[in-house]
Amino acid sequence: MGSPWRLLLTMALASTFFSSKLQAEEPLHKGIDRIIAEGFESPTKAASPAKDAEFLRRVTLDLTGRIPSATETRAFLANRTPTKRAEWIDKLIASPEYSRRMQEYFDVVLMDRRADTKVSRAAWEEFLRTAFASNKPYDELVREILSNDGANPKTRAAAKFFLDRDLEPTIVTRDISRLFLGRNVQCAQCHDHPLVDDYAQEHFYGIQAFLNRSYLFPNAQDVKAVIAEKAEGEVSFISVFDPKKVQKSTPPLVSGWKPIVDVTLEKGKEYKVAPAKDVKPIPAYSRLEKLGAAITAQENVAFRRTAVNRLWALMMGRGLVHPIDFDHSKNPPSHPELLTLLADEFVKHRCDVKWFLREIALSESYQRSSEIPPGGQDVSQDRFAVTILKPLSPEQFGYAMIQATGLTDVYRKELGNNASETSLHAKLSAHLGPFQRIYGSRPGEPEDAFSSTLDQTLFVKHGDHVQNLLSPRVGSLIERAGKLKEPTDMAEELYLTIYSRFPNEVERRDIAELLRMAKNRTALLSDIAWAMLASAEFRFNH
Amino acid sequence: MRENVMKPCEYACQTEEHQISRRLFLGAAAGLAGFTAPSVAKELSSGQKRMLVIFLSGGVSQLETWDPKPNTDTGGPFRAIPTSVPGIHISELLPQAAKRMHLLTLVRGINTAEDEHGRGATIMLTGRRTEAGIKYPEVGAVASNLLVTPNRDLPGHVQITPGGGSGFNKEDAGFLGPKFASITLADGKPPADLLRPASISSDSDREREALRQKLNAQFAQSRRSAQTDAYTESFEQAAKVAARAGAFDAGREDPKAADRYGRHDFGRHMLLARRLLEQGVTYVKVTHTNYDTHHENFDFHIEQLSEFDRPFSMLLDDLADRGLLQSTLVVVMSEFGRTPRINDRYGRDHWSKAWSVAMAGCGLKAGAVIGKTNANGTAVTEREVHGGHLFHTYFKALGLNPTKNFYPDGRPIPIADPKAAAISEILT
Repeated sequence: MGSPWRLLLTMALASTFFSSKLQAEEPLHKGIDRIIAEGFESPTKAASPAKDAEFLRRVTLDLTGRIPSATETRAFLANRTPTKRAEWIDKLIASPEYSRRMQEYFDVVLMDRRADTKVSRAAWEEFLRTAFASNKPYDELVREILSNDGANPKTRAAAKFFLDRDLEPTIVTRDISRLFLGRNVQCAQCHDHPLVDDYAQEHFYGIQAFLNRSYLFPNAQDVKAVIAEKAEGEVSFISVFDPKKVQKSTPPLVSGWKPIVDVTLEKGKEYKVAPAKDVKPIPAYSRLEKLGAAITAQENVAFRRTAVNRLWALMMGRGLVHPIDFDHSKNPPSHPELLTLLADEFVKHRCDVKWFLREIALSESYQRSSEIPPGGQDVSQDRFAVTILKPLSPEQFGYAMIQATGLTDVYRKELGNNASETSLHAKLSAHLGPFQRIYGSRPGEPEDAFSSTLDQTLFVKHGDHVQNLLSPRVGSLIERAGKLKEPTDMAEELYLTIYSRFPNEVERRDIAELLRMAKNRTALLSDIAWAMLASAEFRFNH
Repeated sequence: MRENVMKPCEYACQTEEHQISRRLFLGAAAGLAGFTAPSVAKELSSGQKRMLVIFLSGGVSQLETWDPKPNTDTGGPFRAIPTSVPGIHISELLPQAAKRMHLLTLVRGINTAEDEHGRGATIMLTGRRTEAGIKYPEVGAVASNLLVTPNRDLPGHVQITPGGGSGFNKEDAGFLGPKFASITLADGKPPADLLRPASISSDSDREREALRQKLNAQFAQSRRSAQTDAYTESFEQAAKVAARAGAFDAGREDPKAADRYGRHDFGRHMLLARRLLEQGVTYVKVTHTNYDTHHENFDFHIEQLSEFDRPFSMLLDDLADRGLLQSTLVVVMSEFGRTPRINDRYGRDHWSKAWSVAMAGCGLKAGAVIGKTNANGTAVTEREVHGGHLFHTYFKALGLNPTKNFYPDGRPIPIADPKAAAISEILT
């Protein structure tokens, strides 16, 4: 190793060690709150702590992707234990719904809802779900994804990231940099990024150099294709802005860290299995093999920054670096010290995702209300002074609808003793498809910024899918509420089931009054439930 | 709470996209009935520009349409006939269109160098070749993005297909996002969810809408963002579109018009296209099929073109009579043309090297021909153009500057391929 690199490495390790020692007494959630509070222009403009119901719905959605049932809500609100919030967080993180939620979230992050071609959906979901259930360290998970050639049927699922992108070098390069390094270097493909000084063309091709010798064998069309690699080949690039058209090249390189020094092999000894017709070659030295380690290396600060920033955004509704994939010096984090703290602590805890999410959930910053305090309108979102309203993901919205209309309970009852997360999910997922199709991003494209399109609205307004969910059946919300005697009790049942909170006095009175005057109570209950399901309070995690 | 809708550095500047991102399908243009009085239509035409694409799917033969080569080894059995413009001849399979040549502009020198259906269609509809890592928006998405006026209830991007399912698409707007993607009216029928189902009474609809608004108002007292506003407004917008669902019903047109256009699917689809354009839809694409005539090219073209010729001509007449043609760009395109060589099954195969497109309206030089092919149509000899040139030309004709940029993810992407330019000779 060249001495400048050694020096840099030593410095990086020393600073990690030093800062963690200083903060040793302080749990991470306290550190979060300390730094967030330092960033307030005025503490009075910060929202007050979230009420129990607000906390319950928020954290259940964030950690398990569903809303709490009316029964769970009643029990939680009645519980007087001072530590009940921490206990609820622990319960959620230990539940199989947590692994499902993480599986669904990371599936969309990693695969952008593209079509399943070479690795089945079921195998991939199983791979992700078991990883999060066993709390596999995040860096290990990413290494598995980035160092699998798909040849071993037992572990092939992990190669989906490569295989279902057809190992297309531009796409794979772009997505590795975007997802794991927080740098969307796509604009640096044809020239240095015109607006971001930190993104050079070399950075794009440095990552591509890990991949440029690899290809799909026997061909990209074969659904059983595996990744093969040649022993030679360099990337070359010319800037379209360069009038002299100088051809450049780069070894495999992760920007901000040392380049890989290729092993040069004697002529005739380049291959373990030499290339021939219909033969998958195996080179004696593999560039691709170096990729996973290079991306996830401890010395590669970008990796851990991006990992914690993504998890922070998942919980808090916005990255400290925002947008998540534009981490560069002209777009600094809203709280630089916090990002460093989170990143260092994450690595210190061996990239423990459960621990990390738990710490965020425990923080006052996470448990703040989303109600804007007087005078708080002007405070920028990036202060995290008021909890950000997060639109539900397609999956969250679907599960929430299914739960709120009572179908989840109907199925749970049907399954009886056989009810497990897996058996229940099998039933629920049959109803989820339309939500994913209508609210999900375009296949192969990163999630779009939130928008409300006409088809989504008409789906809720006129679509038979939502109508069917609402239709009264034994054990459904409408049937359950319809059996209650008092209109005020009906109002309460609706609010607890759909909004996961008790109605306030005015709401209780208004709904009860409507119901008292109704000619057809069942029909009106259904209309009220629809209005609640179609409202912003239901559509957003608040 | 203030939202940082602008990114903190210059790459996500105040692009036009951001300005219009929330306007969706908001709008006005009142009245449920179609415009029957030319004077009313004239008022509409002064402001808004719109576009109609007729896509002859499978690849129409240029030799049986706009660039006939009779009495040559490649010409086939049909004659070329004179048109309303002295000196310009087109195939005898288009007698009605020939009488309207003075409204048309022919581009005869197209070389798109792509003989595969999907990729050929991409070139013609996006003005770009297929590229990894970026999905360019189709012309309809670009038109509805750039031409939308802030006062409209109807969606801007509609396509009428011969079959398949009606619905809302996501993909054809590429990086412009699903807001500008098309609505498909399969066989002219609107997507099911557009209309209130019979199971929801109008009373019930009114009641639940009132309650929804009340709940949102309560929520907005303490919790509010641009996103929650966009969400709650989207229901009001959907209600407006649903209220104007009659715009999608060609059955409301005068039966005499239906007779004129022809009582067949394509006739009905073209009449619906007229209705949608008149009601204020920015872009309509009508697909007519099937022109992929590897066998029996000549019989099939007699059949398909006899169906195409009349409704196409009627629509041109109607647009011209109503004063709408000057603000409506009409383009007849395919994914490519067909081989001059006639194969041993009397078919013609895929051919992108020398073929034609017909255009009309929006101030294009009418009664003109640009570009030329050689005697038996095997090569372009004059003013060769490809999909990029056409794309530039469409947007110039629509009064826009196609060299400006979109900024998906802050990255500047020119509206039209920067390596091409508009065909200035046919622009006025």
